[in-house]
Amino acid sequence: MADLGRAALLLTLGLSAYALVAGAAAAWLGRRRLAHSARNALYASFFSTLVASVVLVAGFVRDDFSLAYVAGHSSRDLPLQYKLSAFWGGQEGSLLLWLLVLTAYASLAIWFARRRAADLVVWVTPVLAGIGVAFTWLLVGVSSPFDTIAAPADGSGLNPSLQNPYMVIHPVFLYLGYVGLAVPFAFAMGALLSGRTDERWIVSTRRWTIVAWTALGIGQLLGAHWAYQEVGWGGYYAWDPVENAALMPWLVATAYLHSVMIQEKRGMLRVWNVTLVGLAFCLSLFGTFLTRSGIVSSIHSFTQSGIGPWFLAFVVNAVVFTTVMIWLRLPQLRTSAKLESLVSREAAFLYNNLLLVALCLTILWGTAWPIVSEAVRGEAVVVGRPYYDFFLRIFGLPLLLLMGIGPLIAWRRASLQGLARVFVWPAGVALATGLLLILLGAGSSIPGLIAYTFSAFVLATIVLEFARGTAARRALTGEPVPVAFGQLVGRNRRRYGGYVVHASIVLLAIGVAGSSAYDSVAEGRLTRGESLTVGDYTLTYRALTERDGANATEIRAVLDVRRGGDDLGTVAAGKNAYSAEQQVSNEVGIRSDLLTGEDLFVIAEQVRDDGAVFFRVFVKPLVNLIWLAGLVFVLGSLITLWPDAREERRLATRYARAGEPADRPAT
Amino acid sequence: MSVWLALGAALAVALVVVVALPFLREPAPPSDSLHELTAAERERLEAQEARDRALAALKELEADHRAGRVSDEDYRSVIGVVRRDAADALRRLDRVEGARTGGAKSR
Amino acid sequence: MARSSSPARLVVALSVAAVLAVFLLYTSLAGGGTPSVAPSELKGKTGEVSLVGRVVGTPSGDPHGGGMRFTLEDIEGHQKERVTVIYKGSVPDLFRTGRDLVVTGTRQADGTFVTTPGSMITKCPSKYQAAESSA
Repeated sequence: MADLGRAALLLTLGLSAYALVAGAAAAWLGRRRLAHSARNALYASFFSTLVASVVLVAGFVRDDFSLAYVAGHSSRDLPLQYKLSAFWGGQEGSLLLWLLVLTAYASLAIWFARRRAADLVVWVTPVLAGIGVAFTWLLVGVSSPFDTIAAPADGSGLNPSLQNPYMVIHPVFLYLGYVGLAVPFAFAMGALLSGRTDERWIVSTRRWTIVAWTALGIGQLLGAHWAYQEVGWGGYYAWDPVENAALMPWLVATAYLHSVMIQEKRGMLRVWNVTLVGLAFCLSLFGTFLTRSGIVSSIHSFTQSGIGPWFLAFVVNAVVFTTVMIWLRLPQLRTSAKLESLVSREAAFLYNNLLLVALCLTILWGTAWPIVSEAVRGEAVVVGRPYYDFFLRIFGLPLLLLMGIGPLIAWRRASLQGLARVFVWPAGVALATGLLLILLGAGSSIPGLIAYTFSAFVLATIVLEFARGTAARRALTGEPVPVAFGQLVGRNRRRYGGYVVHASIVLLAIGVAGSSAYDSVAEGRLTRGESLTVGDYTLTYRALTERDGANATEIRAVLDVRRGGDDLGTVAAGKNAYSAEQQVSNEVGIRSDLLTGEDLFVIAEQVRDDGAVFFRVFVKPLVNLIWLAGLVFVLGSLITLWPDAREERRLATRYARAGEPADRPAT
Repeated sequence: MSVWLALGAALAVALVVVVALPFLREPAPPSDSLHELTAAERERLEAQEARDRALAALKELEADHRAGRVSDEDYRSVIGVVRRDAADALRRLDRVEGARTGGAKSR
Repeated sequence: MARSSSPARLVVALSVAAVLAVFLLYTSLAGGGTPSVAPSELKGKTGEVSLVGRVVGTPSGDPHGGGMRFTLEDIEGHQKERVTVIYKGSVPDLFRTGRDLVVTGTRQADGTFVTTPGSMITKCPSKYQAAESSA
């Protein structure tokens, strides 16, 4: 088995290397058959990577512990779904998944663009192949998942904290996000290499970018939910380097998704857009370097192998390549369109971009500060939560406000009087909400109050937008309200899908502000029958149970929950002791109030032999809105992504002549 | 073990054939050069993009004005520029296309 | 922002860059951030630091009572210096003799290290490779 896996990876390396060299030669010399052959090699590299992946999956399913990787990440009594997810439970498998996703994206993106942007695809192929070569080299030469050992009787098991449904899908979404950013990067570089700086690279990658960005966002939310439920310290985001590594490219991709609209509508910011795409990709590589090299300490520490320097080399290469290409093509990227006014849609998007990039760079600075300070002062200094929270407020709150303003300002230039008229309703709603919240006692946290006021403002503008749009359409067509509403969204998917995504970000902001600015906490050691009060909840420790699960002993402390005079049932918190892995994990008890979105969060920190338990209990208002935001986010993305036949036809006409297939004779 | 190695070798052969396919299918094509856009075609493409952009801007401004997103005075101050841009873009496309057909005739 | 063809863009970019630079200098040099040191480097350090080390010996005491005592030594190198740590608050699941961890606190006059309650972060043992994966 291992032989086939190794052979398949070697094949992938050969095929990507061929696609890189032959693809570059074909593009340079203008050889049609060679270009086609390079493209086929790229498709084939996906297939051989798939074969290697199937071999590894088979190794896990068949408990083939002669594979060192399987022996190190699985055991006989591990449930099947975790045997499958153990595939990406370690570094070698993670890299293989990276490569599988990359070759899949590359093949699909090239396949879909091969007619509409044939002359561009010729140049994109070697770029994608180059990225593939880098990753395959790591799998073949540095860190192979197919190393064999004398098979032990049983494997050493999977880290208990990874034995969770979230860990089955969370890494997959993150990879889909990270790796997906390679597609817009490759097309942007292909456009620069070929000098085809028209809009085809944007049109060809629009959906891929949104898919990658959505996957990255969902992956992070799943990770946050996992941390919340499984790691059990009472939070969901710790500003850890590994978490920041995923957040940074997401922020830059968000900036790009906005600024690209200015290029599409006004033809401006062409250099900026290419820069953002390059930055997003380089950041995803840099994040990998940070976490894999062990150069900064993280809660999630990975095995420190020789892989770090390689990634540093990749990052440096990618940065240099991007910079050189942009520099060389500056003349082609020049445009005549200019920013006409500082009060306009373009300007609002520009502010949004600057804030997003500033936020990203401050996070990068904080994440890299231990390295920088070590080099400068000889002492690694770690910046903590206050640093990140400070900048999240400084840059995040204006961003929230802009989310309400941006979509309503006219392109080119808007007068302040006109703006005042457009915003009178949302501003009124926001002020009323703010006053109401102060009366309700939300003034205890000023940032929280500001966040809620801004959120009310944005939600009001979004509702107003849908209402205005529907009314205008009804006035034009006389359709009934539901039809007009459906037509409005269906005919402007990107715009109204975008509003839905905005609504999800507002929900996220409300959830984050509620659970971090207005939470309460209590702790204490209880013996059976004793109670603890937190917020308006009273918890009474009733019983301690113990039970043998599939691969762990589960100890649970059961508590009665009361609020006011109401009996709310019980909540159980405890610990699992995993036998194969010889490890204990905290299992928190969470009681969600679906009506208010509030969570009661119970940690049994210490269970003593005499049955006394040390509890730590949080009340987290509105925290469930964060998870709801994830669903709304997906809905918004789907609306945006849904194919629009009208737009497809328009683009097909525009590119009919430009995209003659490169694999047909050129007459 | 050898079974797996043989499978690997078979995979290698199959994939190499896929890669070589363009050459196997056309051992001696009349032309092996890539279709490149001529300067005129590229200019036409960019003119089309500019036209689409300008017309979309005009359409959006009208819709925004109708929906009440853009006030009357803002609309009046911008509509002239947007219309002129659209007219410019259309004229540019006409000129480019005219040059192209003209060139074809003279050939 | 390579070509600032419009003065407005230049102004915006420069102002933001300036604001950013001020903030960065302020927070990184004046405030925020705790130095991260190994047990052998702790001597002479005053103020709050993050201590990174490996647990040796057997921990004793109650983290939710009078405090848990354990000993840390350098993870790398041959330094023999050890630090006694007094810790209160939640103890992560992975805490055990032989594991690497980070605690934040201050060194006392008697050489012991008293931590900020709940500041312990364990690093995953090398046997496991937590796939909170970023690549």
